[in-house]
Amino acid sequence: MGLANVTRNTGPAPAKGPAPANPTPANTTPAKPSLIRELVEIADYIAHVRNEIAALRANELTRDRLPMAHEELGSVVTATAGATNSIMTAAEEILGLPSDKNYRAAVEARMNDIFEACTFQDITGQRISKVAEALRQLESRLTRFATAVNARDAGGIDPAEVERRMRAELLILNGPQLKGPATAQDEIDALFA
Amino acid sequence: MALDLGMPILVVDDYQTMVRIIRNLLKQLGFEEVDDASDGTAALARLKNRKYGLVISDWNMEPMTGYELLRHVRADEALRTTPFIMVTAESKTENVIAAKKAGVNNYIVKPFNAATLKSKIEAVCGA
Repeated sequence: MGLANVTRNTGPAPAKGPAPANPTPANTTPAKPSLIRELVEIADYIAHVRNEIAALRANELTRDRLPMAHEELGSVVTATAGATNSIMTAAEEILGLPSDKNYRAAVEARMNDIFEACTFQDITGQRISKVAEALRQLESRLTRFATAVNARDAGGIDPAEVERRMRAELLILNGPQLKGPATAQDEIDALFA
Repeated sequence: MALDLGMPILVVDDYQTMVRIIRNLLKQLGFEEVDDASDGTAALARLKNRKYGLVISDWNMEPMTGYELLRHVRADEALRTTPFIMVTAESKTENVIAAKKAGVNNYIVKPFNAATLKSKIEAVCGA
């Protein structure tokens, strides 16, 4: 948004009062109308940006939503690690069971442990939904703010990001693909045949 | 040639659950001598101290990746013939081709199953 396009919203103009006690000396040049108009536009723009910053509700984000997201994701990591550990322990115990008359009962007990451990998914799903909602809110507010103040990213890239990208390119670190492997195991096998 | 079930195997992965999964699969296949390392640097230290019959490595690790480990192994006169299988979520063709050029013996994409791991070990170590 350009300066000329902003709407003045700083409240009513100062009331016209009596002439000042010390009137402008006759030899002082009065302010030009164009300069006053520029100053008014700048004041309007500053007021507009202040409103948009307020709409960001940055304090709420940093005080509540982002710490909440951090804590929820930490809980998800802990829950998934705990469930994985429980499931693997049960499986390892099953593999080590002796083949005697108690085998079936012992396997059933471990299977129940596995079912119980799998309940983590319900709770972690809810936690991840909360984080996704917080990110959606953050994205929405940042988008609105960037549009309102016509923000452009500063030139250049963070040096740490440059280093990360260079390492990823040099060592071919593409990471897992979103919709499963990019190359099927069969196709890879063909390359090694 | 039958598999040498007594050969030591080095599993390299920074994700302890994956190490545990591979260790259990190897145990089911009959391999008992399994060591692990959490990245390429730690793996190289182990490789200098023990002769392994097979290295099974992840790709994406810090500070040294599995790809760098592979190149180090192939550049080292004492280690260059060590069989090396990459087990990774890096599934782009460029990754597979780069690993093959660097001298990897086989390549498994995650997630994988026991049958795939078994068939690749047999292919690499001779069955």
